[in-house]
Amino acid sequence: MLIIEGKNLTKYFGALLAVHSVDFSVERGEILGIIGPNGAGKSTLFNMIVGVYEPDRGQVIFKGKDVSGWKPHRICRMGIAKTSQIVQPFIRMSVFENVLVGGLHGKGLSLSKASQEAEKILDRVGLGGLKEMPAGSITVPDRKRLELARGLATGAEVILLDENMAGLNPTEIEGALKLLREIQNQGKTLIVVEHIMRAVMAISDRIMVLNHGETIAEGTPAEVANDEKVIEAYLGGKACFA
Amino acid sequence: MKRKGSILPTAVIVVLLIAPYSGISGYLVRFLAIIFLWIGKTGCWNIVAGYTGYIDFGPVAYFGIGSYATALLMAKAHIPFLYSILVSGAITALIALPIALPTLRLRGAYFGIATLAFAEAVKQIILEFDRTVGVQFFEGPHGITLPIGPGNVYFYYVGFGIMIAVIGITYWTEGSKFGYALRAIREAEQAAELSGVNTSREKTKAYVISAFFLGIIGGVEAYWLTYITPHMVFDVLITIQMVVMALLGGIGTLLGPAIGATFLTIIYELLHRDFPYTYAIIVGFIIVIVVLLMPSGIVGTLKQKGIAQR
Repeated sequence: MLIIEGKNLTKYFGALLAVHSVDFSVERGEILGIIGPNGAGKSTLFNMIVGVYEPDRGQVIFKGKDVSGWKPHRICRMGIAKTSQIVQPFIRMSVFENVLVGGLHGKGLSLSKASQEAEKILDRVGLGGLKEMPAGSITVPDRKRLELARGLATGAEVILLDENMAGLNPTEIEGALKLLREIQNQGKTLIVVEHIMRAVMAISDRIMVLNHGETIAEGTPAEVANDEKVIEAYLGGKACFA
Repeated sequence: MKRKGSILPTAVIVVLLIAPYSGISGYLVRFLAIIFLWIGKTGCWNIVAGYTGYIDFGPVAYFGIGSYATALLMAKAHIPFLYSILVSGAITALIALPIALPTLRLRGAYFGIATLAFAEAVKQIILEFDRTVGVQFFEGPHGITLPIGPGNVYFYYVGFGIMIAVIGITYWTEGSKFGYALRAIREAEQAAELSGVNTSREKTKAYVISAFFLGIIGGVEAYWLTYITPHMVFDVLITIQMVVMALLGGIGTLLGPAIGATFLTIIYELLHRDFPYTYAIIVGFIIVIVVLLMPSGIVGTLKQKGIAQR
């Protein structure tokens, strides 16, 4: 069953065409990977989905409802959350309080319910030991996990991860992939923008390749990896996959 | 958030409640009432600036609007004082709402400049309205005389009630959903919005609550002074004093405004008495030293060192 789809999404920044007529659709419980060189329009696409930018053309349909042009908090409450490429923790609030905000406002829970949920989510993402720390004092990998925890706390069904694994070492990536699979197994749908090929190839059910704001390929990880256009535009040569 | 140690605040409240009847001088009653009203004003500023991070340079606009509303209601419509200040608070909040919507879209210095300009604009409107329209309503620069009010003890209790209300609202805010929304906005507004916080509604709420109480306090001070002019009640120095008191005490803390307002009012009073010509210079030095030693304010710095909790 389709949970979210984008139709003809287009965004200009002045004369620059950042995203051009992009269509996508994601099934419930699926993981869609989005790859593409820097400036391909991946983050812009994400920001259109969650309402940070209003699309100049096209629609975002979530569970059959056109949510394009809605404010981000409404889209969040509908069930779409995003982690940002540049992490934005509430730095003078504790790790726990960061997650609490998602439960209180994204999911609309009471203080006591949201607190219980926040505890659970923090344990699940492995931040249980840092609960009382100010979010400004934890490491970057932990901040990435905190972004994910805050997104989970909003109760979102679809979670967009914008380079949530950037800067992690191989062991940490393994841990992150395991966590994402667990989240998928709980019925969540994920859309993942990632530069780390090994990670995105391993986790995605399907991959979409953007270049200069347009979709140039789409398919299973194996199909995309062997696509001539993708290799030419993005990977630079087959040797990358050796 | 754990709420403990209610003995000390209760004791302070009881002592302050019986103080006027404990034989303290009339001068001290009046002085304490002035401190209460400064704590109230500074606390109002803190609700917006301290919790949402929007540094408002025009809070005196709402203080002045409240003063004028009360003066007009009492002097021209002969409405009793307590009703007048409540209506003034409501009028002030109603005016704050349409101001909040456009100005709270601005950030940083732009918000500060917009609010500063708004306060000056209101002053000019009240100064020039009568002459321009050809009526006698605001009485322009001549000001309005209110009915003679009761004595200082009355204003002591009114000021005390307002101070408790403002601190109470702040206390409630700190541990509420609303408070978490405000702090999230202060820390990272876009992330707050993406986490489901209706940022524009929550910060508007904070702004209007702050304006409501400032309007009431303006009304109280107008009645106490019995005579107001635009230059008095829209004086930019009132804004500056609120800002300085909050920063001294600790912005974004529950008791910071109370500590800062008390500290600065006492310093002013003592120095003004002993050094009538140079006190402003000395106060300036003291402010600079405190800010250098305690950049997060008195309460903020104690909190960081783990001495105070709130």
